[in-house]
Amino acid sequence: MHGWTGRMLHVDLGRGICRRDEIPEELLRAYLGGRGLGVRMMREFFRLDPFDPEIPLIFAVGPLCGTPAPTSARLSVVTRSPLTGTIYDCSAGGRFAWRMKASGIDLLVITGQSAQPVRLEIADDRAELHPAGELWGKGVRESVAALKECGSVAAIGPAGENGVLFANIMMGEGNSVGRGGLGAVMGKKRLKAITVNGTGKTTLADPERFDAARGDVLRLFRASPVLFGELGIGEYGTPALVDLMAQRRMAPTRNFTGTFFPEAGNYSGPAIRAACGAKKDGCYGCPIQCKKSSDQGEPLPEYETVNHFGALNDISDLHAIVKANSLCNDLGMDTISAAATLAAFGEALGRFPRAEEVEGLLERTALVQGEGTLLAKGSLRVARELGHPELSMTVKGLELPAYDPRGAYGMALAYVTSNRGGCHLRAYPISHEILRKPVPTDRFSFSGKARIIKIAEDVNAAVDSLVACKFAFFGATLEEYGELLSAATGIEYTPETLKSIGERICLTERFYNCENGFSMADDLLPERFFSEPGSSGEGIDIPPIDRARFEEERRKYYRIRGLNDDGSFPDANFLERCP
Amino acid sequence: MKDQIAKYTAKLGADRSALPGAIAFAAQDDLLITDGAPQLAELAGATLSRLNALALVAARPALPFAELLIARAGADETGIVPQDTETRTFLHDIPFLRQKDLAEDAPGRIARLLSHRKGIIVEGVGIVAVGAITVEQAYINYSSVFHATFVKYLQDVLRDGFRVPGEEAALELLRRDWLKPLTDDGLAFVPELSDDREEILAEVERVGRYTVERGLVDSFFGNISARAGELIYISQTAASLDELAGCIDPVPTDNSSTTGITASSELLAHRKIYEATGARVILHGHPKFAVIMSMICEKQGCSIRDCWKECPEVRHLDATPVVAGEIGAGGLAKRVPPVIGATGGAVVYGHGVFTIGDAGFGAAFSLMVAVENYCREEYFRRLDGRR
Repeated sequence: MHGWTGRMLHVDLGRGICRRDEIPEELLRAYLGGRGLGVRMMREFFRLDPFDPEIPLIFAVGPLCGTPAPTSARLSVVTRSPLTGTIYDCSAGGRFAWRMKASGIDLLVITGQSAQPVRLEIADDRAELHPAGELWGKGVRESVAALKECGSVAAIGPAGENGVLFANIMMGEGNSVGRGGLGAVMGKKRLKAITVNGTGKTTLADPERFDAARGDVLRLFRASPVLFGELGIGEYGTPALVDLMAQRRMAPTRNFTGTFFPEAGNYSGPAIRAACGAKKDGCYGCPIQCKKSSDQGEPLPEYETVNHFGALNDISDLHAIVKANSLCNDLGMDTISAAATLAAFGEALGRFPRAEEVEGLLERTALVQGEGTLLAKGSLRVARELGHPELSMTVKGLELPAYDPRGAYGMALAYVTSNRGGCHLRAYPISHEILRKPVPTDRFSFSGKARIIKIAEDVNAAVDSLVACKFAFFGATLEEYGELLSAATGIEYTPETLKSIGERICLTERFYNCENGFSMADDLLPERFFSEPGSSGEGIDIPPIDRARFEEERRKYYRIRGLNDDGSFPDANFLERCP
Repeated sequence: MKDQIAKYTAKLGADRSALPGAIAFAAQDDLLITDGAPQLAELAGATLSRLNALALVAARPALPFAELLIARAGADETGIVPQDTETRTFLHDIPFLRQKDLAEDAPGRIARLLSHRKGIIVEGVGIVAVGAITVEQAYINYSSVFHATFVKYLQDVLRDGFRVPGEEAALELLRRDWLKPLTDDGLAFVPELSDDREEILAEVERVGRYTVERGLVDSFFGNISARAGELIYISQTAASLDELAGCIDPVPTDNSSTTGITASSELLAHRKIYEATGARVILHGHPKFAVIMSMICEKQGCSIRDCWKECPEVRHLDATPVVAGEIGAGGLAKRVPPVIGATGGAVVYGHGVFTIGDAGFGAAFSLMVAVENYCREEYFRRLDGRR
């Protein structure tokens, strides 16, 4: 077998057993890896409570991991989210994925709950559980440092140990398995860390064809202003978007009461470079190197993080924002959800936190102490408990990122159709509505967006299953990645077959969610976006979203997906028809 | 979407890439719609319904070069590999279907090929191109295939001569009917641009439109900029040069803002050209004969295989230098600035022409016209000489 290893490692923490199994080839071909394979492996378990000891926590790499395919040293982590209750996956880079694949596995499935804190060590064919009591309670940085001799590290911080609903799993290189609280699932299992240190190689079916496809991808990267342009993310990281979002007047401000923050220039890409000496950094083998680190090697914040600890909380102090980012990374918390929860909390109390208060609030959240007991539950539960549910800027309980939907209507639709809640990355319409890739679309029009969002969701589900980085698709397309996959595996995949796989994954996720009680009522934006305007100015009008037009486009989306008009499934046996 | 279909049907007629009356579009949101020549529209609809995409165009090119390329291909060949930079970068190759392959389930056969390429050639039908997310994208891909087949066919004929019936007549059709005298007659330019933002935006919009109207660019290729103090006003990436209103980014020369992340992929080249020459404006188009002639290299025994990227030579078309260099960060920005100042123009291998002006766009436009006219004349001089 080329591309895949064809094997999985099952770790039962309750019984302390590590066992290797074969993965049916049919599943690999039909779901590829990463998100798709992880979602498929949840078929027997998706109804379990996210904190049920038996819920699987799945780490899945893809067939391109371990090959020189650009941006493919990634994995997805899949389970059910304690924050949203939806099926959940998150893609992450770094070095962990390729070292896991080099240990001879495509999948790591962790079930059960250990009686004591443990860590899992994987090195080639060896997999062992070790006591980790001495690490419990430690921050991510210290834990990673303690385990660095064992290879690449994925660890939780105090937030995961304490069940913070937006706790991350952090990769040792600073990458996050972020958003939906998968760190809390790992913490519930009392699994402090996983280390991987494989030395195996991934073989290619057709190296010559692979090299040609790789050349095509790199040529497209070089032609992409977003990736390799002198103002692109290769140079400035995702904070390159700060100036653009300000210019487009769609940067969420003061808990989405506005869409323009006059002080945003304090944390723009050029400002961060000037203040922090941002150096290029990034995932293993990635030519883009969009991650930026300080002179001391500390990961610097992404666009969503600077906006949400900045404009969303009415804070303009770059150093406070950088500090909040570092603290979240060390405590093992998602920066978007943490900052958005603080913003909802602030608006409900009538005062946003001051820059100097943020550090203490974040620490108490991770430790679930004081007001942190409430904040640890995320924006939706905070707003409800404070008697202002309307102030939670979430969809399905997931805090919205830094693209105001009033400034991009495809984004508005994509937030509600996303199977993991208010996420910008499922359909990523910012690509065409703002960044003009592959072609521009009218950001203030719903016309055609239902079809566009559906197609993009399918594409991105396939991308998340390869697993490749979505940023790669600011330059390349599934044409080139399909060619890489065909050359790697020896099995022919075209963009259309990949989109079909993506469609199967998206529908499976929605089916799981519907079975768990999600419905059209959950496919909705917060009321604010339909009743309050954004911050118009500079000739750009940001009115409230037309609710009737939004609902019409949502109905179209359901039809295009083959769902009933209320978003439910016409076929109760859908899963039985899938491989 | 109906308004989009009408718009791009008109554009295919206006740029004379498709035969009026032989154009059809299909598009699907929650419903599938088709419009245009009935038989083609039926085929377009049936094909698109098999694809996970939003739009598709099927049209008969105004010149028969695409089909002649099929006729010239070997019996076992299934596609062509044009050498121009745009195809090499964005399309890679262009598959084709012969008429004998269409006897059963023509839409299915076409959809299968379009499942892995943006545009294809179908014998007896024309060019069929798909737009993954917009109608415009289908138009762009059609236009890209038209450009690619134009360049490749004329390259092949110059190298290998006529091989199949009808080629002489096709070339005659090109020379007699399709090609128009290329001039800047009747065009008005601001002789000396001021730093006034509104004047610059209006002039960039207008000159962008001229480049399309005079056939110096196809689809959304090409870019244009003007410098004013510490700002470069440059067309955005994926912008059609005849529709630049709202699509021009003001980019600070000191990179103090990143709003220009949406600027043309050639922003770096423009910046370096300004730094090297002190020019006031830059125009970049893809006139077809300049693209063809830039790839004719008579050097014998050369060991370089990737001429687009690695050729270190500065060759000349008349007095205009020709250099290698790929798009964006691919090297073009290093090789063009040192040579463009000598004549005010430079040709990039397989790609297109850059021209500059010291005061306004008039000189840059005239030079681009002159370069293309030279290349057109030189092409036919060589072709006639061969015959």
